[in-house]
Amino acid sequence: MDQKNKNSKKPVYSKFSQQELPAWKPILTPGWVIASYITIGALFIPIGLLAWTASDSVVEIVDRYDEACVPDDFSKNPQSYIQNPNIKKTCTRSIKVPKKLVAPIFVYYQLENFYQNHRRFVKSRSDKQLRDVKAENDTKFCLPVAYDYDNKPIVPCGLIAWSLFNDTYKISTRGKDISIEKKGIAWKSDAKAKFGSNVYPKNFQKDGLIGGATLDESIPLSEQEDLMVWMRTAALPTFRKLYGKINTDIEAHDTIKVEIQNNYNTYKFGGRKKLVLSTTTWIGGKNDFVGMAYISVGGICLFMAINFILLYVFRPRRLGDPSYLSWNRHPIT
Amino acid sequence: MIQHFVAFQAMKDDILNQIEASRQVIINEKNKDDPFALVVDGKALEIALRNDIKDNFLQLAVTCASVICCRVSPKQKALITRLVKKYTGKMTLAIGDGANDVGMIQEADIGIGISGMEGMQAVMASDFSIPQFRFLERLLIVHGHWCYKRISKMILYFVYKNIVFGLTLFYYEMYSRFSGDVLYDGWYMVMFNLFLTSLPVISLGVLEQDVSSDICLQFPALYQQGQKGIFFSWKRIIGWMGNGILTSLVISILNVYVLSPSAFRKGGQVVDIAHLGLTTYTTIVWTVNCQIALIITHFTWIQHIFIWGSIFSWYIFLLFYGALPPEYSKREYKLLIEAVGPAPMYWIVVLLVVVISLLPYFIYMVIQRSFYPMDDHVIQEMKYGRKVVVDDEMWLREEKSSRKPTQIGFSARVDAKILYLKDQLHRKKMFIIKSIANSPIRRSISTNPLENRD
Repeated sequence: MDQKNKNSKKPVYSKFSQQELPAWKPILTPGWVIASYITIGALFIPIGLLAWTASDSVVEIVDRYDEACVPDDFSKNPQSYIQNPNIKKTCTRSIKVPKKLVAPIFVYYQLENFYQNHRRFVKSRSDKQLRDVKAENDTKFCLPVAYDYDNKPIVPCGLIAWSLFNDTYKISTRGKDISIEKKGIAWKSDAKAKFGSNVYPKNFQKDGLIGGATLDESIPLSEQEDLMVWMRTAALPTFRKLYGKINTDIEAHDTIKVEIQNNYNTYKFGGRKKLVLSTTTWIGGKNDFVGMAYISVGGICLFMAINFILLYVFRPRRLGDPSYLSWNRHPIT
Repeated sequence: MIQHFVAFQAMKDDILNQIEASRQVIINEKNKDDPFALVVDGKALEIALRNDIKDNFLQLAVTCASVICCRVSPKQKALITRLVKKYTGKMTLAIGDGANDVGMIQEADIGIGISGMEGMQAVMASDFSIPQFRFLERLLIVHGHWCYKRISKMILYFVYKNIVFGLTLFYYEMYSRFSGDVLYDGWYMVMFNLFLTSLPVISLGVLEQDVSSDICLQFPALYQQGQKGIFFSWKRIIGWMGNGILTSLVISILNVYVLSPSAFRKGGQVVDIAHLGLTTYTTIVWTVNCQIALIITHFTWIQHIFIWGSIFSWYIFLLFYGALPPEYSKREYKLLIEAVGPAPMYWIVVLLVVVISLLPYFIYMVIQRSFYPMDDHVIQEMKYGRKVVVDDEMWLREEKSSRKPTQIGFSARVDAKILYLKDQLHRKKMFIIKSIANSPIRRSISTNPLENRD
């Protein structure tokens, strides 16, 4: 016995090296199949119904105004209208409210065919400059919108800031103005960490082509809510951005009057502008797709469960039936 | 010189005649199951392997059940291996224990060296080494079988997972006018193949077993799955690529339609590139890891830790990355904590996408398992399905039938003899039955008495 132990070269036994670890070997039996389909169906349909009712309770009003707000004489040439600083750009729209809008009501502007996700556009900013007042010369990626005619750095530089949306909306109903709260519409992390509280706009939109809004030079960047919202580049060519919040209810069947300053030039590239008023629920804004997707998947799974139950009843295969082994099916004599 | 040449010619003709005669014997043999063995010695082999008659020799050799070459030199061993490899075009295996086997071991596709009495030269020249000859059976039937399945599953899954990941990037380009803006942060992409999806694949490739080792030994016919190459066929490759393409489409489209353009949170906020990228990436990580959970049939604690741990580590990474100051985390600063985490939509979308992406594969798996099961599925059910009473007789019978096609653990000569005796017995029985049936006594008893009066 001792000799065996001394001369033995047998490696030490361990469950891992001999691949004998305890294991769970799941087998897909008919019971499991039907149980899993029914579980998915039973889980998805209630979630889908919840999501759908939530989306259904959201009231969303979308109003396209870029075409209607061009006066008739300029309808063939909206460019000359929008680029002419002498023409008043005020435009009044009437919107009928189908259902009661419960506060808080969110006001968005929606742009379409605007590629904020174009690589050249996304790169054209300087985060360092936005954070730090001493880094105002960090304008490497912002060219050509980096320096003004006196060779002084533009704060904030880059195409994103330069193209800041500048339509404004004034909403009133039943003759009374409704105040739109403009504070707190940007992400808190932006205001606290990405935009400096001692960085002020400088030389912004002074020379050359004006791309969008001008900024109040006395307000630091961390309080410039519109700028912060705009600088978060959107993911898709059709996007909404938060304009403001309304903290009062708007009754059903009211007519809202919106006074729009139609300043932003989307006519050059065939973009569209829309004003959106929306309430929110736990799933966010109006999104029927989620609810419907869940309900359809749940329905499909239940349908498959029923199909498989029928198949197993009418064409059963005994578990472990050896006649299905390949050497029994194609016997070698 | 001329004498040598004449003598040589005579020997060549003699060998050719012998080969031809042996071939005739095989052809004339009535019982096709009878195995033949060929015995050649080194001197004859020297002549038989010459270019002009080697084809005849090889043709005879491959029809025999076994060929025994004795007194061969190492060079001849290597030469035979090479010729058989070329002639049959099949995968060859050579096993040997001494320095004289080194040439043969290196020549064959798979060379196995036995370490022991004759030193370590064979071991050092081989692909695999075993301590005793009897372990060859285990090496082939257990480890060879497992290895084949592991490698095929691993490669197919790897292709699938990278297609899913890469194509979502491509689809996003369609939304950004092909300008080259990347949907995901650079670090996400580094993490994908390095940490988030690599460990489960490693555990699949190292630890996966379709049946346990003792079942592999009892059913050598399972080894044929590898020989026929059914797990890595073109059908499977294209199937998995198609699955990847479909999954990437589902992920991309669902994320875009669910998250935009309306707000995704109660606070009215809308998604931007960072949010869409994060959510899409999260769904990819979940889908890909759940897919591997569907492929694996042998779950040890290692697989569980790797799969669910990879998913969990993704969230941990997000927390850490988001906590870095904005100079380093840029767009991803506090993304999970502040923006995406508290939004129920983020979690709902993951569940929806995972189930929809895995549904086609699940349906395929169910249909295959239920109505077109493969050998290992049936054997798994026989062994592990609790409802089936483990019928010992049936088990033994199937064990035996599975040995026939591979002839492993199976003596062809013994079995041929048994078949021959069975055949004889059957004939005798038939003869007796026929003679009883035709005997006049029986005829007079069984037929109609009225008829017989004639």
